[in-house]
Amino acid sequence: MKRRTFYFSESLETTAAWLMGAIWLMPVLYAFWSAFHPAEYSTHLVLSAPLTLENFYRAWEQAPFVRYFLNTFLLVTIILIAQYILCTLAAYSFARFEFRGKSIIFSIILLQLMIMPEVLLVENYQTIGKLGLSDTITAIGLPYMASAFGIFLLRQTFKTIPTELVEAARVEGVSSVGILLKVYIPLARPTYIAYGLVSISYHWNNFLWPLVITNSVESRPLTVGLAIFGAPESGVDWSIITAATVMTMTPLLAAFLLFQRQFVQSFMRSGIK
Amino acid sequence: MSKLFVKHLSKSWGDTEVLHDISFNCKQGSLLVLLGPSGCGKSTTLRLIAGLEDPSQGSIMMDEKEITHLVPGKRGIAMVFQNYALFPHLSVVENILFGLKARKIKKDEQQKRLKYAASVLGLSDLLDRRPSQLSGGQRQRVALGRAIVYQSSICLMDEPLSNLDAKLRQEMRQEIRSLQQRLGITMIYVTHDQTEAMTMADQIILMKDGEIEQIGTPEELYKTPATAYSGNFIGTPPMNILRPDQKILSAFESRKMDQELLSKIEKQCLIGVRPEHIQLDETGIPATINTIEYLGSETLIACQIENQPILFTTPNKLNMAPGGAIKIGWGVKNLHVFDAKSGKRDDSVYHQLLN
Amino acid sequence: MIKHQARYWNQVNGWLMIIPAVCMIGLFTHYPIFATFFRSFFATPIGTKPAPFVGLENYSFLMEDEVFWKVLKNNLIYSFCTVPASIALALIMAMTVNGKIKGRSWVRLSFFTPTVLPMIAVANIWLFFYTPEYGLFDQIIIFFGGNSHNWLGNPDSVLGSLIVMVIWKESGFFMIFYLAALQQLSPELQEAGKIEGSGRWNYFRRVEFPLLMPTTLFISINAVINSFKLVDHLVIMTKGGPDNASSLLLYYIYENAFNFWDTHYASTITIVLVIILAIISLVKFAYLDKKIHYQ
Repeated sequence: MKRRTFYFSESLETTAAWLMGAIWLMPVLYAFWSAFHPAEYSTHLVLSAPLTLENFYRAWEQAPFVRYFLNTFLLVTIILIAQYILCTLAAYSFARFEFRGKSIIFSIILLQLMIMPEVLLVENYQTIGKLGLSDTITAIGLPYMASAFGIFLLRQTFKTIPTELVEAARVEGVSSVGILLKVYIPLARPTYIAYGLVSISYHWNNFLWPLVITNSVESRPLTVGLAIFGAPESGVDWSIITAATVMTMTPLLAAFLLFQRQFVQSFMRSGIK
Repeated sequence: MSKLFVKHLSKSWGDTEVLHDISFNCKQGSLLVLLGPSGCGKSTTLRLIAGLEDPSQGSIMMDEKEITHLVPGKRGIAMVFQNYALFPHLSVVENILFGLKARKIKKDEQQKRLKYAASVLGLSDLLDRRPSQLSGGQRQRVALGRAIVYQSSICLMDEPLSNLDAKLRQEMRQEIRSLQQRLGITMIYVTHDQTEAMTMADQIILMKDGEIEQIGTPEELYKTPATAYSGNFIGTPPMNILRPDQKILSAFESRKMDQELLSKIEKQCLIGVRPEHIQLDETGIPATINTIEYLGSETLIACQIENQPILFTTPNKLNMAPGGAIKIGWGVKNLHVFDAKSGKRDDSVYHQLLN
Repeated sequence: MIKHQARYWNQVNGWLMIIPAVCMIGLFTHYPIFATFFRSFFATPIGTKPAPFVGLENYSFLMEDEVFWKVLKNNLIYSFCTVPASIALALIMAMTVNGKIKGRSWVRLSFFTPTVLPMIAVANIWLFFYTPEYGLFDQIIIFFGGNSHNWLGNPDSVLGSLIVMVIWKESGFFMIFYLAALQQLSPELQEAGKIEGSGRWNYFRRVEFPLLMPTTLFISINAVINSFKLVDHLVIMTKGGPDNASSLLLYYIYENAFNFWDTHYASTITIVLVIILAIISLVKFAYLDKKIHYQ
């Protein structure tokens, strides 16, 4: 027996949702279509069109995507490691130590949440130049290594760890450093994972600052490489450009598909204040 | 006159059947308690009545009308949830009037009902507060207020007192019962606490594993439990359910009984006797004391006969130590006999015993 | 004395642990703000001469710079359109995904996918969509008998085209926050709503939306900041054109600093951007305190 439910008919809602989902996915699906099919088919969606890897080979030839990929990989790794170290120390200090000016300094740090390094790219470019680090992977990562967001998240997590655990450890004679390594960090693992995914996503996809600070193939990340590659001056061959685009998108996209739940939960966790 | 009729209600989640063939009726103005341990199906039954779930089979009738598939809002029921379900961003007034506003009741009628509910529940001073500013007992009353202003036919309550501390629970228990009687509200009340059930109910429905174990008044459940499970569930401390081994059967020896009857009891029955019906008896069965708990008004003694544990109470203080030997006995008329296999009450044996 | 020592070491250790992070944040966030401000009072030097001090000249030039005002107006329109639209969409998405529909995890995946893509990749794809005649949109329109458009080349449609693309990219990200908030709502509340006879829309309006307000505010702040911060797409889609019709503040800064090599003027414009962001943060800290009073 049918009865009116709280929502409109369930099947109507499901259909609408699927439709919207399909529309949303379409641009990405298009990119894959165009990348894997010969140039003639990039604007004609004929289902029987032959698949090809030609576009990828041509893109590979025209720009050092392997190098770009390596650069990006190094970049996000270096940034993440530095962030883990710097933010852990700072968060631990803010969460569990008492010192003068603590809350003022913390508030001052939070400014970075609103005014990020790329906004100040004019001056940061000069600073990097003065440090002699222009056009290096390190330079891309430097402004982000101390992340106010990371400190904020970790401090919040550290604060939720019950003091009884800390006291128990102290009674067992563990030092402050030991407590950090054996109590706080292990218990904050979900936050580290969440933050890691958010950070990797952000820095893999970052563009403007790396564009400004890099000049050469040796330091250029994937996003900048793609931009230069796809510049309209080089003649628009969509299928090759989409191949390059797919190469840029795929690593993160694949990771996302494999670890969907973790990704979604990470972003959710970082939003819950 | 029956207010609510539940007929052959069944509910399955996929392949698991959680409710099986539940039927009962609730009279106008009475308080009916659905009692049982967690997982017995009492909350599911309530939710079916409320319309928050659909039954797999069966029907629900209210005032002769079939409501089985109606939307919750149109069944004429009000509900108080276990965690009160108060809207945290609304004040007490707005919470109470939420349903009336949704149902587009006229403003002056809203105010009239609000005043009445607030005075009856003692909420008049709290009207502007938010739920977060109220104590557990006050939130409970607001939830009740929301239910009362609807002036519905039936009020459903889902373990409303389980989140309160013991003292508050007792107060609220009495308040709810007196309110229900005063206003003549028909109430269906779900709880796992047999004390609540015994003190509040006009009728108790004891449930187990998705089925009805027994329906009756508190007195019926106490005096004539239909199964060993009922006997054991009702009453604090719980009824002793004993296997009639040699030692226990020896208590009947002095009463010149039929050998056939005795062996039938030994092979097929279980004996139930409540702790308050066992006394120290010089001519009784020997037992060894395990623990003694002095409660002031009485002493609770856990002992054992052979390897069967027995609990009994005595009004006096017992000057003995664990390990000591005592003799206990009970009147035959206080016995309950149950079939060992089905757990059901076996009155034929009981009557034979009495003769 | 031991207590004193312990407190002293506490302070020292505390400071030591934050110094690396604080220094770096200071170096790349706080110092640049002051340095930019300082720089804005100087003009770009000619040749190898040091930069001359010009006082407020850069600022007066800014006031008269038509392009600047155009860019500012663009950015405000852009924010004003992308923020409410992406938030509303995000809410609809979250409620859809949270409801009882089949295959909800793949719908959620579809909505969230744009978030993990680099803006550059997105820009490339949509560049094709907007290509006159051959692009996907034009092909569909021509199929239905319409005319081809020069979406990105027409100053009247370029900003709108970019706005649509950005809404597509951002909504899924914000959806996550709404999802998290929705899942924190007790399901008993919805049941109580049903029993009280509330319809779906009434429940949304009077219970869900108010309870989601903290999330809405949080997302709004994020969205507004993003609308000033994210200009990647301009670099390869329009370069701010045609005729600055699609230029945004940060892009104008970038142009001035790295295309025209007028770093001092770029600094001046940066100060405007910093002021805007500062105003937003003030709003956040004043409003956000208000929201923490429900549960």
